Amino acid sequence: MLKGFSRNIKSLEILTDEELAAIHRGTLDVLETTGVTFDHQETLQFFADHGCQVDFNNKRVRMPGWLVEDCLRKVPSSFVLKAREPKNDMKIGGNITYFTNAPGMGTIDLDSWEPVTPTREDNVNAVKVLDSLETVHNIGCYTPYMEIEGVPPAMTMIEGMANKLRMSSKVNQEAYQKDSELFTIKMAQVAETQLIGTVDPSPPMTYDESACKAMYRWIEAGFPVDIGSGAVMGGTGPATIAGSTITNNVELIAGIIFSQLIKPGTAIMVADFVHPMDMRGGHPAFGAVECALHEAMFTQIFRGYGIPTHHWYGFVSAKKMDFQSGYEKSMIALLTAMAGTNLVEIHGAMYGELVWSPVQAVMDEDVVGWIGRFLEGVNVNNETLAIDLIEEVGPIPGFYLNKEHTRKWWKKEHFIPKVADRAAFQEWLRTGKKDIIALAKERTEELIAKHKPKPLTLGQDKEIDEIIEEAMSYYKQKGLI
Amino acid sequence: MAVEVIENLKRAVIEYDVEGAASWARKAVAEQIDPLKALDALTISIRQVGDAFGRGELFLPELAAAADAMQSAMPIIEEELKKREVKRKTLGTVVIGTVYGDIHNIGKSMVSTLLVADGFTVHDLGINITADEFIKAINNYKADILAMSALLTITAPEQTKVISALKEMGLRDKVKIMVGGGAITYKFAESIGADGYDPTAPGAVVLAKRLIGIE
Repeated sequence: MLKGFSRNIKSLEILTDEELAAIHRGTLDVLETTGVTFDHQETLQFFADHGCQVDFNNKRVRMPGWLVEDCLRKVPSSFVLKAREPKNDMKIGGNITYFTNAPGMGTIDLDSWEPVTPTREDNVNAVKVLDSLETVHNIGCYTPYMEIEGVPPAMTMIEGMANKLRMSSKVNQEAYQKDSELFTIKMAQVAETQLIGTVDPSPPMTYDESACKAMYRWIEAGFPVDIGSGAVMGGTGPATIAGSTITNNVELIAGIIFSQLIKPGTAIMVADFVHPMDMRGGHPAFGAVECALHEAMFTQIFRGYGIPTHHWYGFVSAKKMDFQSGYEKSMIALLTAMAGTNLVEIHGAMYGELVWSPVQAVMDEDVVGWIGRFLEGVNVNNETLAIDLIEEVGPIPGFYLNKEHTRKWWKKEHFIPKVADRAAFQEWLRTGKKDIIALAKERTEELIAKHKPKPLTLGQDKEIDEIIEEAMSYYKQKGLI
Repeated sequence: MAVEVIENLKRAVIEYDVEGAASWARKAVAEQIDPLKALDALTISIRQVGDAFGRGELFLPELAAAADAMQSAMPIIEEELKKREVKRKTLGTVVIGTVYGDIHNIGKSMVSTLLVADGFTVHDLGINITADEFIKAINNYKADILAMSALLTITAPEQTKVISALKEMGLRDKVKIMVGGGAITYKFAESIGADGYDPTAPGAVVLAKRLIGIE
């Protein structure tokens, strides 16, 4: 089992009890009065059969408060995810925080800072790097690239999943597009691992047909479901942080109810990626402080419900790896981790979901180590207080470097970043003035050259190839290839 | 009296007054004001808002609200134009929509508003539009430009389908095709055989004009 980071600090809470109650009441009101659209006939009937008021004409489902409360109680507060290797199993929930990578449509040229379509080899190397990084506890959706040179768009997720299973023995999360889950589920089963299945409502307050189908399919496969929603404040959600928290809650809880009605006790994680809109361009303002406020509230609310949470905010507005990208991603990740989220998506994320870089993932490992160290808090006991030692060393000329206490404790208490430049100034001048990007590039190349992922068995490998073939003919028939 | 109605119509758009715009449009029709003048009032004020947006004085929420006000008055005026068999001046006719399999609305609507503000006649088909629906609208409205919006490139086959259908019908040379959306790039536009792409809404208007040979 992967340990992740234990949160031994008080959780960051930004809402009072009264505010929490107002948000809960508001959520119940909207679920019962306004309702949520499910654009899938079978699902509408399903809700009607389970005590919801369904308007079949405009496909609206209204959920009574008692049902909402009942379903929220049925969600397990933690669950175990089975990886290809037991050492990579995860226990999601409680005071454990794990970290995972983000996806990107393509990669980036680190000299021109222009987006580049990755090759199949880039995709293989990217997952290899993620498998090698200790603080990447599981491999995320679409990982990492949504477009790969020479791969038809309909096949990206399927070839991507095959690659993830071949290049990593960590737990995978996966999304869905055009029935891709039919094939990715089979692949995971062949590799004897569970997936975290994603289901995304479309804000405001709509589940399209593919989201409904994905929900049934993940649950039938026995996989936990990660319900994630990301309105844009002022666009697809209210402009206010509280208002967009209500619509986001409604979207997520409607999905929770759906899941618990299909199979009570289904393991659920919820994810929030609400962003303010950039009111000049109309795109989400990635890395904004409002994201941190939103996520802190969201985490507090769902911690109250006893439902594990997932932070989907690794992205930044910065286009380069620079000061802005560093502060945008680190501040949000730190604050949400402090709020008590169970899974933080961060490694490799750059602008929006448009570009991704393994070099960024390597740098993010430092950010994660830093945050994880903070979460673990301070060990206060007789030995760490070191009163006797302080008495023994006394004032100058006493010092601590040569003490057994120092040897024993410094490595336990001090986090050592892997690529950050911490050289003394003169040494830095003498050794070529390397910055973190240069150091991370070197480490990335080294990881690609040296890391050996645990291979699948020959039988599994062959079966996965067959599933790829099957998917190819499925999409050819559908006219998507 | 006519001046008062026209001024109020202009003001309704500038002040984002959706109901006011419709009711002043109805008044313009009732008082038999030249519908071309009423139409001018609408485009002048939406252009004024669009220009303020361009200068960074107004933002998208204002642009969207002014567009709503204009849209509430437009059908009333258009109906009157039709009745009088008057042809409006237009830079060109645009059919716009978000492609099938995609329900992203906001970016497409921004482009649509700015095109109207600049003097194009725009038929916004909405979201999740199939190839057949695009083709039908192009034929119906005798469009000069087809503008397709998509967030993700997974919808590429849909866009290619529209373009092939236009070729088969011998219409490809008659209509210019522009594409846009969050993940769309120049390279993508080229790969599906579109005539142009621009990453921003104001840029899309410049592109539309260039495609039909204005400016």
